[in-house]
Amino acid sequence: MIAAVKQWPAVFSALLFFIPPLVSAAEDCNAAVRELARKTAAFTGRGASVSVAWRNVSSLSPSEFGQAGAAFAAALADSGLRVDDVAPVGELRVTLSETPAQYLLVEEARKGDERQVFMAAWKRTGPASVPAPGVTLDKKLLWEQDEAILDIAFPAAAMLVLSPSRVALYARQDGQWAERQAVALKPPRPWPRDLRGHLRVTGAAFRAFLPGLECNGAVDPSLTLECRAGDGPWVLESGSRALLLANFTPARNYFDGRVTTQTGLRKTVPPFYSAASVEEQGRPLWVLAMVDGRTRIFDASFDAAGALPDWGSDIAGTDARCGAGYQVLATRPGDGTEPDALQAFAVANRTATPLARPVDFPGPVTALWPSAGASVLAVARDLATGKYVAYLVTVVCGS
Amino acid sequence: MWPILSPSSAVRNAARAGVLAALLLPPPSHAATRPHYGGVLHVEMRESIETLDPPQSGHRMSALTGPYAISHWEGGHRAIYEADENAPGGRPFLDSVDILMGRPLRDQSNDLELGKTDLVELGPNELRRQPAARKLWSSAPVRILALVFGPRVEDARIREALALAVDRAAIHNVLLQRQGEISGALLPQWLSGYAFLFAPTTDVARARALVAASPASARAFTLGVDDSTARPAADIAERIALNARDAGLIVTVAPLGARADVRLVEVRVASSDPGRALATLALVLGLAEPPTVDTPEALYAAERALLEGFRVIPLFHLPDVYGASTRVKGAPGITPLGEWRFENLWVEGGKP
Repeated sequence: MIAAVKQWPAVFSALLFFIPPLVSAAEDCNAAVRELARKTAAFTGRGASVSVAWRNVSSLSPSEFGQAGAAFAAALADSGLRVDDVAPVGELRVTLSETPAQYLLVEEARKGDERQVFMAAWKRTGPASVPAPGVTLDKKLLWEQDEAILDIAFPAAAMLVLSPSRVALYARQDGQWAERQAVALKPPRPWPRDLRGHLRVTGAAFRAFLPGLECNGAVDPSLTLECRAGDGPWVLESGSRALLLANFTPARNYFDGRVTTQTGLRKTVPPFYSAASVEEQGRPLWVLAMVDGRTRIFDASFDAAGALPDWGSDIAGTDARCGAGYQVLATRPGDGTEPDALQAFAVANRTATPLARPVDFPGPVTALWPSAGASVLAVARDLATGKYVAYLVTVVCGS
Repeated sequence: MWPILSPSSAVRNAARAGVLAALLLPPPSHAATRPHYGGVLHVEMRESIETLDPPQSGHRMSALTGPYAISHWEGGHRAIYEADENAPGGRPFLDSVDILMGRPLRDQSNDLELGKTDLVELGPNELRRQPAARKLWSSAPVRILALVFGPRVEDARIREALALAVDRAAIHNVLLQRQGEISGALLPQWLSGYAFLFAPTTDVARARALVAASPASARAFTLGVDDSTARPAADIAERIALNARDAGLIVTVAPLGARADVRLVEVRVASSDPGRALATLALVLGLAEPPTVDTPEALYAAERALLEGFRVIPLFHLPDVYGASTRVKGAPGITPLGEWRFENLWVEGGKP
């Protein structure tokens, strides 16, 4: 109902404008206009006629402004006043304004020589985010919350959400995800600023990979989680086809470059953010989004084998084979302050071919992990609301 | 945006396969969604801060403490802050912030242009000269430019006359390059929601009438201005003196150190809570402490009471404006109140 704050990126609103509204703010616009109408009636006297001039200096849309005006007119009538521009007893000039915490109706009322200012406020709320459908990439809203979402996994008929402060288990209830249990996370040291985490589910058991913390848990019969300090390698999947063990740098947001392949080969490459596997003539290749900004290809021996044009820092492999080779999804380059997008690429002959149009997100993608089959989990920080929104993005061949 | 690969570019990319080809690629853009660790943010500021301890260190530098710790201090000249590995919310992405103090606005702008620094303050004149692609960060209008009368100007008619004589629109258009807002309120519109109720009026005829009704001895006074820190302020003071002359007042502009009857001051909104902000402004401006309020109407009444008698004449609400180099990412690094928030910034070329 209420539009986003236009003057400031909403991330500012969320992070910096947590001010307590003046305590008298009403819950919504209707309550505020009723309050204002009561004050007006007390000033002009019941049964009086009033003229009303309106203006909007807030960020609310013309339609919302119109709704407020209609609600005020109705509230005036309920308070025993008549709106009449011909020889009114009272003249009202009402301005719809706003502060970071609330919307404000400012009424300059005049009755003869008497002037008075009345105000009524109602609390601001954020708009809901609406996912948009993709073309070759199907984007489905999974979950939204205030705290960062590091990863989401789906053990049998349930949903696990990994956040900086906890792991929460959700179950379907009346078609909605309802929280069943949650276990708090206790990091051995403060989390890195750009915290990353990953879930890996095997049946009812799961592992949570976090910087400097190794956790094992289960969801059946109830949610359990045991964590200990440790810097063991994370398991990076690429669809269901390939695995890579990679050591994460505990106080940073990247892998330090030490990797172990499925064949047991250990290598050290430059630090990287994310990895995805592709195939060339039946031989696996790995594509790594490096910390230096490049996207590099490594062969089965993890020797450098080429490079791709710059992608964003998060990539994920899938099992989808819509054209030549497997599809890799990549974020786009950016600086974390603008809406992000995911695009599917086919990597063949060590060349990346973009597939159709990217799918857009309401903010920067903060987490991207392979999910089942042709899908990936993408989490974006909504720039309008400051909330974290998780999507399941599926590569759909032929769309 | 990604490049959309054409067949020819696909061929080129195929030819680039291999280690050598990778080495021959252009330098990486470092343009990635995920923040980079490492690197130094070079900042320049006009103010010369002599003492590191708050509140003398100001609203900007004091906000660095927490994510960063001071590692080098040359009072009034230079400060270097290093990232705190155990900072709340995690270690900042930057390794350090290197601040050069006492830089005139024009020099700051030149340094930014020459790539010598990453972040500078921009005044109205410098803002006009920035290239269209310049990355700008602006706070809310948090700096209040106001005239504050001392006790010697006892006649309220003289104070009101000056309020009516000032041509705010001309100053705003020319000297401030339309930066910020004209206002007759202490609290800016974005914070109170009702500042428009204090819309200032210029009425030279009424000002003249008020002056004419006042004793001749009250018509001449000095206007103090600190022209060392706020360059446009001196020009604004001169313009106010001219406006005052039109109303029959004799105003002499003098440096702030001199004994001034009225001062042109710049004060800041220090809180995003309107009640608290008003109380702080009243304190700084030497006005009576307003009552604690819990409704917008009561806040309005409190502000109106502070402005009665024209002891303080608000003129403009101005934002802090910064220019940033293109290598600064994760912006903006200031809050709506103009405080520095550098912990989420990173720079291209930073080494992990």
